[in-house]
Amino acid sequence: MDAFVELSAELTGFSAEELRSTGLVEQYRALADGASEAEIIELWYTGVWRGVIPTERAYAEGLAWKAVGVAAPGTSAPGFGSWERRPRRSAR
Amino acid sequence: MRAVVVGAGFAGSLVAKVLGDNGFRVLVLEAGAEPNEDAVSRYRTALVKSPLVPFRRTAAAPSSDYVVDTGPHSLASPYLRMNGGTGTAWTGITPRMRPDDFRTGDLGRGRNWPLSYDDLEPSYRAAEWEIGIAADADEQRRHVPIPEGYRYPMHALPRTFLDDAIASVVDGQRIDGRELLVVGTPQARNGVPVDGYHPDGQLCAGFASCVPVCPEGAKYTPHRTQRRWSSTVELRTRCAVNRLHADEFGRITKVDYQRYEDDTSGRHTRHSVEADVVVLAAHAIENAKLLLLSGLANSSDQVGRNLMGHPVLLTWGLMPHPIGPFRGPGSTTGIETFRSGPERRERAPFRIEIGNWGWGWSAGSPGSDTAELVAAGLRGTALRQAVAERVGRQFTLQIEVEQEADPANRVTLAAERDALGTPRPSVHYALSEYAKDGLLASKRVSDRLFEMLGAEDHTAYKPDDGHYFEHNGEPLRYWGAGHSGGTHVMGSSPRDSVVDQWQRCWDHPNLYAVGCGSMPSLGTSNPSLTMAALALRTADHLVSRAR
Repeated sequence: MDAFVELSAELTGFSAEELRSTGLVEQYRALADGASEAEIIELWYTGVWRGVIPTERAYAEGLAWKAVGVAAPGTSAPGFGSWERRPRRSAR
Repeated sequence: MRAVVVGAGFAGSLVAKVLGDNGFRVLVLEAGAEPNEDAVSRYRTALVKSPLVPFRRTAAAPSSDYVVDTGPHSLASPYLRMNGGTGTAWTGITPRMRPDDFRTGDLGRGRNWPLSYDDLEPSYRAAEWEIGIAADADEQRRHVPIPEGYRYPMHALPRTFLDDAIASVVDGQRIDGRELLVVGTPQARNGVPVDGYHPDGQLCAGFASCVPVCPEGAKYTPHRTQRRWSSTVELRTRCAVNRLHADEFGRITKVDYQRYEDDTSGRHTRHSVEADVVVLAAHAIENAKLLLLSGLANSSDQVGRNLMGHPVLLTWGLMPHPIGPFRGPGSTTGIETFRSGPERRERAPFRIEIGNWGWGWSAGSPGSDTAELVAAGLRGTALRQAVAERVGRQFTLQIEVEQEADPANRVTLAAERDALGTPRPSVHYALSEYAKDGLLASKRVSDRLFEMLGAEDHTAYKPDDGHYFEHNGEPLRYWGAGHSGGTHVMGSSPRDSVVDQWQRCWDHPNLYAVGCGSMPSLGTSNPSLTMAALALRTADHLVSRAR
């Protein structure tokens, strides 16, 4: 088991598989060397690393949006009228 | 006829189109640069997703952040100097003004218009078809007069789950004797067309980032109108007009401008162009700046005065159950009943927008929620659940309050100069007691709505927040809406107004100043549609005069 992914899963409440599916594990591992827990969570949840959003993907894959079950604004086209529907529950 | 249009934003693009379609040779001089291709990418990587952040800025033609703010309050209303103007970043909400909004002077608050709702009504229809508005005429008719048989070019957009959740509780209830009704808001973004209308661009697919940028072009921007310009319309970007010249009869003869290439410096070359007619369409503050720089159109001493905005009160809370925020356009419905009525003599009226994007505007969600929960020690599954629970129920009421015309609120020329050596605009702006009373009244209505909804109120205004103030002992705060107007006010007499009902400067037979700057009142509606209606009316007037 990858120690960074394991720690990230424990801190974020998202599974290793969910974290890997963001495609950001390698980038975040490199950034987060020596980071605090709060910094690692902020990076995964909001895509912000020490006041900067390093890539578009970091923003789009922010776990805060996934926890709520919506896409980060400006990143996805769920379709005309999709906003009418009862929100899906995604929290575990 | 050779027309020079100054500004390629909302009003300028519309005027240029009508003139070009009717045989004018039109030169459009735009101070800003061409839009950048990477606006969506810049939006995604911006830490704070404020309205102007995705767009190209130049040193030579700075946007609203170069305005010198002399207080006592801040206008807090950004504008963008780029081809397409602030209409590139706008929210795309297009309610009409109400008939009584044109008679605010009769209420003893601000000024009357020299034209009525009925005079402007045909131009509203023309603007709605030119822009492409999605709305239902029967629904709009419940709060504003829409002619029988009229159809908007597109059917109303679907409401959000939040809209229905609120409507199911408040519709038919009363506050202060006013019956509540959640009403669909006309939208300048593509829905399902009625027979005979062909939308320009994609169907809105719910990117939920309309302000500042719609990734698929479902929202109207002036670039759409520009693509329909005839070949007789020429656009020159990076050309900042700095002076108009008039002959001894008051006719404008020549327009001076400074042309720059480099985004980062004030290096420029100087040019002049002659014109038969000149249309200033550069934004309320920029139009006033140009008239003041040129020493023109000001026999009434009203140029730059009567500056108005819409102070916005935000209130935010949690619905009793998840409603799925951050989906769809920013606001799809509102509560219209407080826009009018006898209270309007005593305090400013207001329009309540139901905000679909959680506490994004009011509190920086979901980043702020995450930070708060992490600081409280939450980790792992507990954190994930807490974020879902907190954010999934969020909603905001966005309440636009009228600010009446007051000649003391004004644009002047600052001693400071911009990179081109031109004096920067300076703004003196104060919220009136009337507006403050309206903000406070709207807060009380919001409190009642939250009670009805069983919503948990998280609204908090703190002394170290921006634009905080206290009124009658209650803490309040306002936000800016980006709706500046009044600075070349329209009236029925050259003694006390700058332009006539055609937006023609009283002092200059071939000079027009168009845009929200002409509006004697802003009412409680987002003003772009009214600006567009006025622009089309002026363009038709110019065409008929040329014949």
